[in-house]
Amino acid sequence: MIETGYVLAVIFAMGLVTFALRALPFVADHWLRRQPVVQRLGQFLPLAIMTLLLVHSAAGAAGSHPGGPWPELAAVALVVALQWRSRNALLSIGVGTAVYVLMRNGGF
Amino acid sequence: MENRTSAPPGNGGKGLSALSLTVPVAMGYIPLGAVFGFLFVQAGAAWWLAILASVFVFAGAAQYMMIPMLAAGASIGGIALATLILNLRHVFYGLSLLNRMPSSGLKRWYLVFGLTDETYSLLTALPATASHRQMLLITLLNQGWWVLGSAIGAIAGAQARIGLAGLDFTLTALFAVLAVEQWRTRKGSAPLWVALAAYGVAYLLAAPHALVIAIALCIVAGVFRRAGASDEVEAK
Repeated sequence: MIETGYVLAVIFAMGLVTFALRALPFVADHWLRRQPVVQRLGQFLPLAIMTLLLVHSAAGAAGSHPGGPWPELAAVALVVALQWRSRNALLSIGVGTAVYVLMRNGGF
Repeated sequence: MENRTSAPPGNGGKGLSALSLTVPVAMGYIPLGAVFGFLFVQAGAAWWLAILASVFVFAGAAQYMMIPMLAAGASIGGIALATLILNLRHVFYGLSLLNRMPSSGLKRWYLVFGLTDETYSLLTALPATASHRQMLLITLLNQGWWVLGSAIGAIAGAQARIGLAGLDFTLTALFAVLAVEQWRTRKGSAPLWVALAAYGVAYLLAAPHALVIAIALCIVAGVFRRAGASDEVEAK
């Protein structure tokens, strides 16, 4: 069981950080627009961070079972292909997860 | 019902149109919220905390990310830093809505609070004549769908623990979906290659802290890549 006080503190911290980010343009509009580094990071970071999160969570899943990272590689490739063609996040996530669960529980 | 005396003809259905605008969001938020609530409870946290997280954080990807971090007992500072990095894109959302928001009061700050990817895309698509009340209704409905989904998933997850291996792959799949959407709007492919290289280096250096090290490397690369970036934009 995860301790409630710890989760409450995490929720508070995450809520504060998320709100601060969303509010920043409304309190520091002029300053933000003048910072070239803000613009550069805004272009660079989103794709880099998503790639890192994808690789990190796939690596974590691959490390949780013997037999190599093949189910992760196959399922991620499937999700990417589905999302690229359909733009339907629910479909991509649902089919990708279902195929992954089948592979993991079907003796692959 | 609303503005019956002052509304111009044809605006009587404002509530209904806000509702219909948020239907596509509901189709995504309710199931994705349910998956969040379910995995949150399966990870070992109390069901009502899942609902609380959706009320006070209201950020889909960050909430998905918090589950494995909570399960691993990550530090609060570490989780806050990860949230900061994951939600950095939201800083750029507000910039295009500066003149549309109410100028002060609770309404303004609730609208700012509720500026998720989906709410942002709905609000920017509204005509310039849309009222603050309509913007508020859309944001409230979107958060309502998210909280509803989280509650359904959390309560279902509290009833039964499923022993099916691999259900938490939804998080990996969500990151894959978000990466594809970022790739679609990319200015160049450098962030992808830099991230892969950074993760490789970080993994060899210290596998347990690979993510944090790789993120730090990417921030450094993002700050110092001016020359390379302009080359790439010109080459397109």
